[in-house]
Amino acid sequence: MLAGQILNGIVTGAMYALVAIGFSLVIGTLDKLNFAHSEVFMVGGFIAVASVSWLPWQLALIVIFLAGGLLGLATEFIAFRRFQTTEGKVTAALASMALGLIITDLVHKVWGTEPVPLKLDSPWLQTGQTFFGATVLNLQLVILAVAFVLMALLHILLQKTRMGRQIRALAESTVSASLLGIHVRRVTQAVFFLSSALAAVGGLLVALRGGAASSEIGLSFGLKSLAIMAIGGMGDLRGALVGGLLIGVLEALMFQMGLGRLVEMTAWVTLFAVLIFLPNGLFGGGIHAREQRA
Amino acid sequence: MIGDQLFFTGINVLLAWSVYLVLMTGSLSFAQGTFMAIGCYAAGVLTVNFGWPLLPATLSGALLSCVVAAVVGWPALRLRGVYLILVTIGITFCGRVLLENVEYIGGVAGFGGMVGASLTSVFIAVGLVGAALFWLSRTPLQRSFDAVREDDRVAASLGINVPVVRLIGFCGGAFIAAVAGSLYGHYMSFVRPESFDILLSVYVVLYVVLGGVNNMWGALLGATVMTLLPEYFRVLAQWRPSVFGLAILLMLLFKPQGLLSFRTLSSRWKKA
Repeated sequence: MLAGQILNGIVTGAMYALVAIGFSLVIGTLDKLNFAHSEVFMVGGFIAVASVSWLPWQLALIVIFLAGGLLGLATEFIAFRRFQTTEGKVTAALASMALGLIITDLVHKVWGTEPVPLKLDSPWLQTGQTFFGATVLNLQLVILAVAFVLMALLHILLQKTRMGRQIRALAESTVSASLLGIHVRRVTQAVFFLSSALAAVGGLLVALRGGAASSEIGLSFGLKSLAIMAIGGMGDLRGALVGGLLIGVLEALMFQMGLGRLVEMTAWVTLFAVLIFLPNGLFGGGIHAREQRA
Repeated sequence: MIGDQLFFTGINVLLAWSVYLVLMTGSLSFAQGTFMAIGCYAAGVLTVNFGWPLLPATLSGALLSCVVAAVVGWPALRLRGVYLILVTIGITFCGRVLLENVEYIGGVAGFGGMVGASLTSVFIAVGLVGAALFWLSRTPLQRSFDAVREDDRVAASLGINVPVVRLIGFCGGAFIAAVAGSLYGHYMSFVRPESFDILLSVYVVLYVVLGGVNNMWGALLGATVMTLLPEYFRVLAQWRPSVFGLAILLMLLFKPQGLLSFRTLSSRWKKA
């Protein structure tokens, strides 16, 4: 029972991490908060509802990835490109928040405010295997696999490819990067594409596990991932992963202890604690953490 | 009907001013909904369960909210930028969960029975808070606020205690929001924790951004327009979030430095 709960927690945590990594990528490279990210994540579930009805799920996954990425490009164009100065930091956050309001409203107009069921007619997903006395649904394994494969691919992209080096250079300093001949706008677009695509897939996974796409999760699950990003440390991908798994397992343990009603607080209380004792987050350090200190 | 609309306009103006007071010190607060809830519930408990009159109950609720803001805000106000925004969002979520789980104040079902606030009391509150803000804009404290907002490192080097100045702004904002909450509760006579969710706080911040953050009249204008307009245009009411979001985006686009750049002496010099 306990093992099952912890596994549930890890599955939730992997999804948190997937969304938190998107926040982390944007804040790491641009030092700006993208509030539209959590709404793109929410839209991912609805694109899933719209696409699995006429596509096999493998293709649907790709469609969702691309659609999320395109939404990310739109976000960059609408809410970030005009606000590139350091004074524009708060402005860009507000603009992305306004964009998030519009996205949510459009989703409400198209799909209504109630959750929309997402059914995959695959009995295989609902069957399970038993490890250590805990039943594991294939669905959970698929979610874990998708999340970890995507994160591993992102890690390889960032560490081994030319684009990854450019993104990391941009994270150190926009000015130096552009002096070195890096096309800053192109790289920024890549960052937004990647982060939003990951968020949209995260939305799909959350909708798959819950069996329905809900327009509420942008403000609950999405903002919680934002807290997780800060718990892990701004702009650090390891931090987002560890923070996500930590909060996922903590929440599962709270359910196990019968504190289910306080579960929504877990991420935020952890954030307060981390800020008091480790103001830079678990993996803090680097230029972005210094920038946040008073 | 028109009385209701004016009442909600007054409440929103108070909330917008509470955000404005925090914003003057250069930080953005998404926790005003929770401070409103604290004021509302605390004053409600005092009037309903203990039979206090409205005025002392409101002031006590506002003081409690102030203390809560100081305790929660202190660790966060030492940090800059993003962390502070995150902590205020966290306050909103934690506040909601706590309100829903305390049986004494009704939990999820809500808390009722408060009466006594009227349109007049809101007008008095708006007048008093407006006068206080206007008086504040002529004191040395305002100049400390300006310095902290413009550049906190320079302000610190001038001997201004930056966290304390920020804390004054944050607590003052919590006080005003709690007054608004108390009046709101005693007018509606029934509130639930979900009346104070994160969207409320987001909207209030956006009222201020829409109206302009350069002075207290911007907040007044933004809150009034955005409360009254949807009442008179049906389309606006249906598409409220979209229209609102678009309006914000357009405002921000046509003022490329962002509305958050205050027109101070230094920025005028830069232009010349």
